[in-house]
Amino acid sequence: MQSTLGESGIAEELAESQRQISIAEFFEKNKHMLGFDSGARALVTAVKEGVDNSLDACEEADILPDIYVEISEKRDYYKLVIEDNGPGITKEQIPKVFGKLLYGSRFHKREQNRGQQGIGISAAVLYSQLTSGKPAKITSRTKGSSEAEYFELIIDTDTNEPEIDVEETTTWERPHGTRIELEMEANMRARQSLHEYIEETAVVNPHARVEFVEPSLDAPLKFERAENAELPAETEEIRPHPHGVELGTLLKMLEATDSYSISGFLQEEFTRVGQKTADSVLDSFRDRHFGREMAWRPPQVHEEADVAAAVRAAVSNKGKEATKSFAVAVEDAIDDRDRVAHHEVRAIVDAEADTVEADFDTTFGSTVREKATEAAWDQLLGDGETDADRKESLTSDLYPLVDEATSTRKDDAVLQGLSERLAAKFVNSEDTRHRLTRDDLADYVARAADATEEYDDATFGDTARENVVETIWDVMGTVPDDPPTVSSTADDRDAASELLEAMRETDIMSPPTGCLAPITDELVLSGLQKEFDADFYAAATRDASVHGGDPFIVEAGIAYGGELEDGGTVDVMRFANRVPLVYQRGACATTDVVKSINWRNYGLDQPGGSGIPNGPAVVMVHVASTNVPFTSESKDAVANVPEIESEIELAIREAARDLKSYLNKRRSMQQRREKQNKLATILPEMAEKLASVTGNDEPEIDEAMARIMNNVLVERTVNGETATVTIENNSDRSADLEVTEIVGAEPQDVNGANVVEMDGEWFIKWSPSVSSGETAELEYRVDTTAPSDISVEGVEDEKLTVQS
Amino acid sequence: MSTDNDINYGEGDARERLLALAEQFYKQFEEGDVPQLQVPTRTKSNIEYDEDSDVWVYGDRHSTRSAKTVSGAQKLLKATYTIDFLAQQLDEDRSSTLRELYYLSESWDLDEAQFNDQDESNQLVEDLEIVSGATREDFHMRPEESGAKVMGPLLLREQTNRGDREIHCQDDVGQGGYQIPNNPDTIDFLDHDAEFVLCVETGGMRDRLVENGFDEEYNTIVVHLGGQPARATRRLIKRFHDELELPVTVFTDGDPWSYRIYGSVAYGSIKSAHLSEYLATPEARFIGVQPEDIVEYDLPTDPLSDSDINALESELEDPRFQTDYWEEQIELQLDIGKKSEQQALASHGLDFVTETYLPERLEAMGIL
Repeated sequence: MQSTLGESGIAEELAESQRQISIAEFFEKNKHMLGFDSGARALVTAVKEGVDNSLDACEEADILPDIYVEISEKRDYYKLVIEDNGPGITKEQIPKVFGKLLYGSRFHKREQNRGQQGIGISAAVLYSQLTSGKPAKITSRTKGSSEAEYFELIIDTDTNEPEIDVEETTTWERPHGTRIELEMEANMRARQSLHEYIEETAVVNPHARVEFVEPSLDAPLKFERAENAELPAETEEIRPHPHGVELGTLLKMLEATDSYSISGFLQEEFTRVGQKTADSVLDSFRDRHFGREMAWRPPQVHEEADVAAAVRAAVSNKGKEATKSFAVAVEDAIDDRDRVAHHEVRAIVDAEADTVEADFDTTFGSTVREKATEAAWDQLLGDGETDADRKESLTSDLYPLVDEATSTRKDDAVLQGLSERLAAKFVNSEDTRHRLTRDDLADYVARAADATEEYDDATFGDTARENVVETIWDVMGTVPDDPPTVSSTADDRDAASELLEAMRETDIMSPPTGCLAPITDELVLSGLQKEFDADFYAAATRDASVHGGDPFIVEAGIAYGGELEDGGTVDVMRFANRVPLVYQRGACATTDVVKSINWRNYGLDQPGGSGIPNGPAVVMVHVASTNVPFTSESKDAVANVPEIESEIELAIREAARDLKSYLNKRRSMQQRREKQNKLATILPEMAEKLASVTGNDEPEIDEAMARIMNNVLVERTVNGETATVTIENNSDRSADLEVTEIVGAEPQDVNGANVVEMDGEWFIKWSPSVSSGETAELEYRVDTTAPSDISVEGVEDEKLTVQS
Repeated sequence: MSTDNDINYGEGDARERLLALAEQFYKQFEEGDVPQLQVPTRTKSNIEYDEDSDVWVYGDRHSTRSAKTVSGAQKLLKATYTIDFLAQQLDEDRSSTLRELYYLSESWDLDEAQFNDQDESNQLVEDLEIVSGATREDFHMRPEESGAKVMGPLLLREQTNRGDREIHCQDDVGQGGYQIPNNPDTIDFLDHDAEFVLCVETGGMRDRLVENGFDEEYNTIVVHLGGQPARATRRLIKRFHDELELPVTVFTDGDPWSYRIYGSVAYGSIKSAHLSEYLATPEARFIGVQPEDIVEYDLPTDPLSDSDINALESELEDPRFQTDYWEEQIELQLDIGKKSEQQALASHGLDFVTETYLPERLEAMGIL
C-alpha cells in the first residue's frame, strides 16, 4: 500500500534539505558542551580558556608568565581582557587562532599541555559575538617587532572562517605578548568560582605572576611569583604507546607510515618498541591471524608407527644409502622432540635434506621434501590407515593435556571421553596441518565438552573448558609464516584489529615520562605556602604510571591550620595538567578518592568515617598526563580510571602521613604545654609555701622545672668579669643549638664564638651540640653589668627553658 | 622498715619532723632536683614479717610521688600545704579530725591544693606518718570514730582537756563501759586484777558477756572491737599486753572478714604496717568462732558466698595468715562451705557462751 505513495520522491525531497553543518554552527547550538551554558559560567570558561592559552604560550617560549585578567562592566555587557607576556602571534596566524574553531598546534601531539583541542579561545570569541554582537579585539606583539598588530574579528559561523573587521598596526607598551578583549553577556554570579580559579591557578603555577581585576575588588588581586620558581621542565613529544591506540588511529597510522613490514612499523611509529618487543607482538599477531599448529607426540615405543619407514617409502630415486640416512635422521630428529607441529616436521625435513644433499651429492627437491613431510606427519597422527586408528593415537596424545588442565576430581572416563571427542575434531578437520586459531580451538573444546556432558553424564564447566583450551594452546606452535605487510593490513580491518589485539596483549614497558611536567613536590609546597597562611604544608609527587598507553603523574599537597578556615569540610582543589578544575566536583575521581580515605587515621575529623573530612585544611591533587581522561568535553572532572584513582590515593596518603605526624607532634606539644602550664602554677605555689614553712627565701625552681619537662635549660650566670652560659640537655636526644647572646658591652675571650657588633650591641653566637643528659658551658669575659639578652634556636619553644 | 628515717614512735617533736620534710623539698628545689617523696607501696604483696619485732612491716618496694608528673606535683603541693597546716596546729597545741582536714582544704586559696575526697587526705596523712616517722596522733589528728569501750577490773588515769581523771573500768562506768580516748597514750594504768584480755567483735556479744558478768567471774578486761578496730583500740590492747603483761584473746564471728579483724589486732593492717610495731599485738590469740567449732558445736550456719570464698582464698595467699593453724582452719571452712556468727552460740541457750563455750576454749588455749 505504502509503496504507491512513491518513496523515491520523498528521498529526493529530503535530500534537498540535507546539507553540511559548519562546526561553528554546531557549537553555536551546543554551547554547553564547551562550558558556555550560562552567563555566569561563560565568564569563568572564557577566563579559563584565555589564561590557559597564555600560560601555555609563555611556557612554550620559555618565558615566566605574567598574566593580567580584567573583568569590567560595560553598559549591558561585561568586558573581559586577558593579557600575557608570551611570545606573541604572527600577523598571519592571529585571525586563525582566534577566529577559527578547531585550529591549533597541540591536538596531534602527545605531550602534556593545558589546552588540546584548539576550541577554547575561539569558542569564547564565538560566544562573545553571539551575545553582544561585538567583535573580539586582539593585540599581539612578537618579540623584536617595533609595533603590535591589532585585529577586530568575528567568526563566520557558516564557514568557520575568521571575518576581519579591522586590521592595523598599533603601539603597545608590552615588548611582546598577546591581549584579547571580549565583550559578552554575562553575570558575576560565579564570582566565587572565578576567584577560586585564579587563586588555584596561582597555587599550581608558582612560576606565574597573575593579576586579577573585577568590579567588586577595590584593588587588583595580585598573585606574585614564588621565589626561585622556574618554568616547568620542558616536555618532549612522544610517539604513541602500543597500549594506548584505538583501531581507527592504528589504521590511519598504517596508511601513513613509510614502513613496509609490520615489525618496522611497530618500531618506527611507537614508543618503547624495539626488535624484541616487535617480535613478541608479531608472534601474537601470527597466532591471531594464522592460528597455531597442533603439535603431536612422536610415535611412542609401543605404537607401531614408523616414521623412518614411511619417509623411506616416500622418497624415490635418491639412492638407497642417501634415502636411508635421510629417513633415519628425520625420525631421530622427530623423536628428540616432545611434541612436533606440522611446520616443525617440515623444518626437520628441510634440515636433514640439506645435510643429505651435502653428504651424498644428490638433490632433494621440494616435491620430495613435501612428500617426506606428509609421510612423517601421517605417522605422527597414528600408524593405522583408518580414522579410527588416528583418533586413538591422537586421543592418547590429548589425554595427558586434558588431565593436566582439569581438577583431580574429574572421572578418568570423562577425561577419556573428552579427549576422544577432541581427537575426532582434529581427525576430521579440513586443515591436515591441524592449524587453528584460538577461537577454533575453543570451539572444538566447547563442542567436545558439550557432547561429553550429554553422553557421559558429566559436568564440564566454563573454567574447566578454559583451562583445557589454555593447556592445548600452550603446546601448539606459532607458525613461521610471514605476517601480512603493512599495506595489506591497512586494507584489512580484521587483520588490523588482530594486530591491535596483539599489541595490547603483549607486555610492553611503560611509556617514558619526559613528556610530563609535574609541578614537583617542592613547588607544590611553595605554591601552597604562597597562597595559604597555614601552620603546616606537605606535598608528594608520585612516580609516573600509565593508563591506556598514556603516562601520567599524580601529585598531592596538604595545607593545615593557621589562617585556614575551621569549622567546615576541608577544601579540595583539583588540577589537571596545571589547570584548576572548578565545576563538577562531585563527578570527579579526585573527590571520590578523597571521600574514600579514612581521614581519622590521619588525625582529621571525618563524621561517619567517610566523605570529605572536616578541619582547617586544603587538599590539592594534580593529575598530569599526555591525555587526562575527563568525564566530558568541558574538562571539569577527571574520569574514574582505576589506575589514576589508585595513584591519587597513594599520593594523598603520602602527604597525609606527614600531616598525621605533624598533628601527633602538635598534640604532644599541646599536652606538654598544658603540663608545663599546670606545673608552672603548682610548683611556684609549692615553693612559696615551702619558703614560708621553712622560713627561707623562695627557692629557685627553673632548673627543676626544666628537668621535669626534659627541657633544654639555658642559663646565664655571672661571676665577676665572667659570664657563663650553661646548657643542660635534659631531653632524650642530642640538641644542636644556635645560642645568641646580645650584650651591651664588648665581650672578650669568647671561645670561638662568632661576634658581630651592631649599633653598640654585640651579637655573640655559638653553635653548641649537647648530647642527651650532658651539660655544656660557654664562658666569656664581659662587663657583667651591661644589659644582655639570650636567644636560642634549634629546639622547640616548648622544650626550652631559658633563664638569665 | 626501709625509709630513711628511723622509726621512733611517740617520741621526738612531730613538728620538727614535718618541717624536716619541708626542708627536704626545699633543698631539692634549690639543687635543681625534681622534688620527690618515696613511700613504701602499701599493698599485700609488699609486707614482710619482721623477725625482731614479730610484726608485719612494709617490704622494699616503694612508690615515688614526684613532681615530674602533674598528679605527683599536685600531691607534693598538697603535702606542703598539709605540713604547713599541721605545723601550725601543733604550734597552737590544737587538734583536728581527718574529716576536718579534708574540709579545711576547701579554704586554701589554690584550687590545685585542695583535696578531691577524704580518701586522698587520709592517704596523705598516712604518707606523712610513714615518711616523718611520727604518728597522726603526734600530729594531733584524730579519726572521726573514736576508740571502742572497755569493761573490766582496771583502774586508770586519763589526761583530759579538763584535767586528769581516775576511772575504774567496772565501778566508775555504766553498762556501756569505759570509752577509749583517741590518743590512748594519755592513759596511765594504776591498778588491775585482770587475768586476760578478751576482745569481742560484735556489740551484741559484748553486751551478753557483760550481762552474764563474765568480766567479773573470770577477771577479764572485755574490749569491744566494733568491726575493724580503731587505732586507739589496737594501741590500748597492745599496751594491756606489753605493760600489764596480760594474754590477749580475740573472739569474733566465724567468717573470713572476722579473721581479718583478728589479723589487724595481731599482725597490724596493711594500710598501717608502718605502725605495726606500735599497734600490733602479735601474741594475741584467736578464740573463735573457728570453723572447727562450727562442726564441733553443731552451730547454725549460712553457706559461704562467692565473695566469702574469694576472701578466704585471698587470705590463704596473705603472708600474715600463712601459718599451719590458719591454713588448716581456712581449708576446713572452704571444705564445709559454711560460716557462723558469734550469736549462733545462743542456739544452745543464752548462757552457753559464758558457761560452756568460752571456758572450754580458754582452757584448751591454756589461758584458764
